[in-house]
Amino acid sequence: MADSVPSSSRKSRVSRRSFLKTIGVAGAAVGTAPAFLRSTAEAQETPFRDPAAKRGGTLRYGVHTAPAHFDVHQSGTVANIGAQSPMYDTLIRRDPRDGQTIIPDLAHKWDVSPDGKKYTFHLRKGVKFHDGADFTAEDVKATFDRIARPPKGVLIPRSSLFTAVGEIVVLDPHRIEFRLTEPRPRPFMLGAFASGWNIIVRKKTLDDNQGNLRQVMNYPGTGPFRHVSRRDKEVWIMERNPNYWNKGLPYVDKLEIYHMLPFSPELGASLLSGKLDYARLLDPISWRKAKEMPGVTAAAFNQSVIQAVYMNQKKVKAFQDVRVRRAIHLAMDRHVLVDVVKDTAPMQVGGFVYPFHEASTPRAELEKRLGYQKDPKAAIQEAKKLMQAAGYGQGLKGLDFLVRGANTFKLWAVAIQAMLKEHLNVECNLREVQISQWFEEAAAGNFDLGITAIVSALMDPSDYFSSWYGKDAPNNYAGWTNEQFHSLARNIEREVDDSKRKTMIRQAEDILESDPPLIPVSYEQIYDAWYNRVRGQNPSTYFGIYDVVRWDQVWMAKA
Amino acid sequence: MRKYLLRRALFALGTLIGVSLIIFVVLRILPGDPLVAILGVEGHAKMDPADRAILMRDLGLSDSLPVQYVRWMRDIATGQLGKSFFRGDTVRDLILHRGPLSAEIAILALIISWLVGLPVGILSAIRPNGWADAVVRSLSVLFIAVPGFWLGLLIVLALLFWFGYKAPIIIVQLWQDPWENFQLIIGPAVVLGLAQGAYIARMSRSCLLEVIREDYVRTARAKGAVERAVVLHHALPNALLPVITISGVLLGFVLGGSVAVEQAFGVPGLGRALVVAIVERDIVVVQNLVLLYAGIFVLVNVLVDMSYAWLDPRIRYQ
Repeated sequence: MADSVPSSSRKSRVSRRSFLKTIGVAGAAVGTAPAFLRSTAEAQETPFRDPAAKRGGTLRYGVHTAPAHFDVHQSGTVANIGAQSPMYDTLIRRDPRDGQTIIPDLAHKWDVSPDGKKYTFHLRKGVKFHDGADFTAEDVKATFDRIARPPKGVLIPRSSLFTAVGEIVVLDPHRIEFRLTEPRPRPFMLGAFASGWNIIVRKKTLDDNQGNLRQVMNYPGTGPFRHVSRRDKEVWIMERNPNYWNKGLPYVDKLEIYHMLPFSPELGASLLSGKLDYARLLDPISWRKAKEMPGVTAAAFNQSVIQAVYMNQKKVKAFQDVRVRRAIHLAMDRHVLVDVVKDTAPMQVGGFVYPFHEASTPRAELEKRLGYQKDPKAAIQEAKKLMQAAGYGQGLKGLDFLVRGANTFKLWAVAIQAMLKEHLNVECNLREVQISQWFEEAAAGNFDLGITAIVSALMDPSDYFSSWYGKDAPNNYAGWTNEQFHSLARNIEREVDDSKRKTMIRQAEDILESDPPLIPVSYEQIYDAWYNRVRGQNPSTYFGIYDVVRWDQVWMAKA
Repeated sequence: MRKYLLRRALFALGTLIGVSLIIFVVLRILPGDPLVAILGVEGHAKMDPADRAILMRDLGLSDSLPVQYVRWMRDIATGQLGKSFFRGDTVRDLILHRGPLSAEIAILALIISWLVGLPVGILSAIRPNGWADAVVRSLSVLFIAVPGFWLGLLIVLALLFWFGYKAPIIIVQLWQDPWENFQLIIGPAVVLGLAQGAYIARMSRSCLLEVIREDYVRTARAKGAVERAVVLHHALPNALLPVITISGVLLGFVLGGSVAVEQAFGVPGLGRALVVAIVERDIVVVQNLVLLYAGIFVLVNVLVDMSYAWLDPRIRYQ
């Protein structure tokens, strides 16, 4: 993998000389400048300006197909956020240098009350929307009122992140307070506010469109880029916002966002032939080819998606027995399943909690557990014992295995069918359907086993403990319930002490292992590749593809 | 002739109405919820019955089927053709933007099929059972059997890995940049043209072989005409009628084949738009594009039939 970018440029570290110079100048400015200059300096803060950056040029970026509609809040796919995010800001954001640290954005600072029930954000002054209107706290209130409590006919997947938000109060045009009805862990709440999904839109835009932006292509944002033109299913072109509040950014003059199917030969071919500068969601073969090419960098990072098999407890009596579900869980050779799709999509082994989250069981420890070991013999023996004890030593026959129609699921379904038959004498019939039909069937309970992928907005377990494993949760297609887990999940959601919370998450993980709500197959990874003329972006430490998608810090070595 | 044209027009209209009814009904009874593609999985999971009712009403899917059908027919009559479920883009704009590209591919494919198929068919017919004939017959079977999209993928990969080349990734119209436009259409046109050329080669070979044995051809040779004149002036015109007929039918294959071939080459034509619309369950786009393809097919076949009268003076329509 060739990468000639100096690490200092990549991480945007400031040298000692320039740091001291900046401190000296800033100190003099604060001491002597009139108030309006100080507020201007606030608005001009650039936490990650790269001293080596060159201005100008066009970034050609290939990502996903065209969005189904234009309302980012109502979306759950990178088709929206990948294309539209450059035009918007959030209240706070993930630092694009590591994709993890939360840093100021439209809010330049924030306070959290000691009881964890009040979040006060101090907003930047002098920020303008693309249509020239002033950005104020009313816009933030309107945005989050809609996200937390969407009007009828508007469906926002991230509403559940803000269920504890009782009131949103505008203290003054540049201060806003979120008052929670009960405490939430600070990392969880800040992560929710920093989520790339929660872009700030104008109050007037929402009022003019009855709170529904699905058909509104170009609604004003405060972001580093603004809309120029869009050709449906082809390309979305944006230009640099000359009035961007973050002075000096963005570096590139133009963004061309090309819509291509993820993991498709077309996307790979477009990057490899030089038609794109940066490609996201590459297939493994194109990615490996890109890695070998001189002048190209290839990176892999974690995605916020679990691939899982559901066991329908409402329909199949055997699945109501926890021993049967645990047996099926143990019968999966996860390392083989990851290998089976290695040329189709990048995956990694994991359990019920994101394997790269600080609160999850460390990988080395996880791979010693039954069900995650490289040698599955012990797990299979245990699985057989469990089936015997449950009275299903002869196996199960004629299960309807609903397979979502994508290459990875088709490959896995065949492998899982073979594993179940060979290890447990469980026979299933594969039924492949298109995605829209899969969810219709799953919601109606017309399946015995079903394989799909599900997403979360945050890496924090409180997000997906409720949406994946919660009782009657939207993604709990199997109808699973475990009162001990649900009670523990509620406590985790409210616990503000970090180390107590981590302990509880581990306990929850243990419950899920012994009483599986689903079978984790793998966790998705993302493959990106770019030409080395693209500087300032390295997603290796990112979580997901929804938070760092603004391209404000990227610059072109050759403009 | 006028009566004939009127009769054909009525038949064509009846055919198209039949096609529209079939596609309309099929799309509405097929399983799958378009709201999954519109809202995404997470949004769809959170939908309650009241939300669903609002969304279906906004999409026009909560009206009765006859009302939906009549609305569609009205949209066609007014040239609007309705709006995509996605992004609210009009189908008319979609067709106007992508249609020229797909039309160029179809026309170029037809030209290639004739330029390749006819000469090799003639060569094969005038030297039957020779090595040239054997090669032609083998290659024609090969090109008929090989799936066009697979061949297309091979071409794309070969050009990429051997030459580092890929065709433009967005639509460039002929009047904007002829060279870029040519790069976009040549791949699919060659693949489709070669497949159709194989049919034309086989058909022209067999028709020519039959005609060459006719008395008037023997007479022409007896009168001292050179072989070239015998084949091209006497035999070929009479052998062409069935070839022209099959060209009309082959256009249907080109239209259908273009869907997969455009996908393989990544060409953003109407075929690819149809694939995406099917995946997204965008009923409005699918039904309009299918009807458009049916209309083109019917029209071409009427034109083919009418060309017989021009080619063969013995044929007159009443």
